[in-house]
Amino acid sequence: MDKQESGIRIIGVLVLIAFFAAALLAYVNKITRDPIARNMKEETKRAVRIVLNTLGEIHYPDDPSLKRLNDFEARYFPAVGKDSALVGYAIIVKAPNGFGGDFDLMVGIDSTGRVLDTYVLNHKETPGLGDNMKKEDFKKQFRNRTLENTKWMVKKDGGDIDALTAATITSRAFTSGVKRALLTFKALHKGKQR
Amino acid sequence: MNVKEKLLKSFFVENPVTGLLLGLCPTLATTTSAENGLGMGLATTFVLVSSNVVISLLRNVIPNRVRIPAFIVVIATFVTIVDMGMQATLYDLHKTLGLFIPLIVVNCIILGRAEAFASKNNLWDSFLDGLFMGLGFTFSLFILGSVREILGTGSWLGMALVPGDWSTILVFVLAPGAFLSLGFILVGMNKIARVIEGGK
Repeated sequence: MDKQESGIRIIGVLVLIAFFAAALLAYVNKITRDPIARNMKEETKRAVRIVLNTLGEIHYPDDPSLKRLNDFEARYFPAVGKDSALVGYAIIVKAPNGFGGDFDLMVGIDSTGRVLDTYVLNHKETPGLGDNMKKEDFKKQFRNRTLENTKWMVKKDGGDIDALTAATITSRAFTSGVKRALLTFKALHKGKQR
Repeated sequence: MNVKEKLLKSFFVENPVTGLLLGLCPTLATTTSAENGLGMGLATTFVLVSSNVVISLLRNVIPNRVRIPAFIVVIATFVTIVDMGMQATLYDLHKTLGLFIPLIVVNCIILGRAEAFASKNNLWDSFLDGLFMGLGFTFSLFILGSVREILGTGSWLGMALVPGDWSTILVFVLAPGAFLSLGFILVGMNKIARVIEGGK
């Protein structure tokens, strides 16, 4: 028993176990890294179809472009219709200061600047409360709103948006996320018209 | 003890959730639907079987004084493998369960089996123990998830059972519903367990 419990042996065994664990994990990480990246990309591409669903047949690039604005940055997919005229954008922004930190939000906006639909890409909001932001009841109030015709705040703060029950912080983050997307659209579109 | 008896026992009498009341955090948190319960259960089963096998193999090598850290390193390794593997293959399921997968590391069922069984028994017995305990865990999670999904959202495994405009008992999807359902399931499972034990 004494021999078995010697310090060197204890350290040696733990180091060996940790070493094999690390080696195994490095290997698994290597083989799963590509599929994981592909899955994320595919979900993003699927989301573009969802948020721009009402535009009918659209084409868009594989990877989003980056647009920097004053205090945030956004990624966007420009979407073109059948006759290769621009019909809208799917804009990915960080919705700031949610209950579980920032979350990624995709907003579909048509060429006149109206919101078409929203899609939450990943989030850590509370299940059953904050994650109701994915539900139709909450999403539908954003449709057809533009940057100009809406006060982009929740009603509690004097704006036009109905917050989710017991999830005001999530709703605030979501609302400023959509606003950011609209600001991005404005900046993008200004460039296009000139 | 023969294999069949042991299987029956780990499903009802010694079921990790309803018999031993272990691992209740993931049990309550992830069972908002039958599919989530099943996914969490199978992920845990994989970790349980793998860690039981490895710990059983190393049972004469690991010094007694550092056995817990050694077990945790082994368990954490397999949990990370499940996490990455699931993200690579079942991406949508991982989106729902993602927050809870790392918590499998501290699931007391796994450490409990490592400490109480795998570190004292041979490879084959430890493998069976991990498998049966895992399946028992999956079984309870699946039942709990089914009850909550059927009552809370009116569907089962994603198939709608009631017309869309019917209102369902939303509380069953939320946290209080987890405790309520678990309580009633405990009653039922313990009744079954008593019948099985009494029959012997």
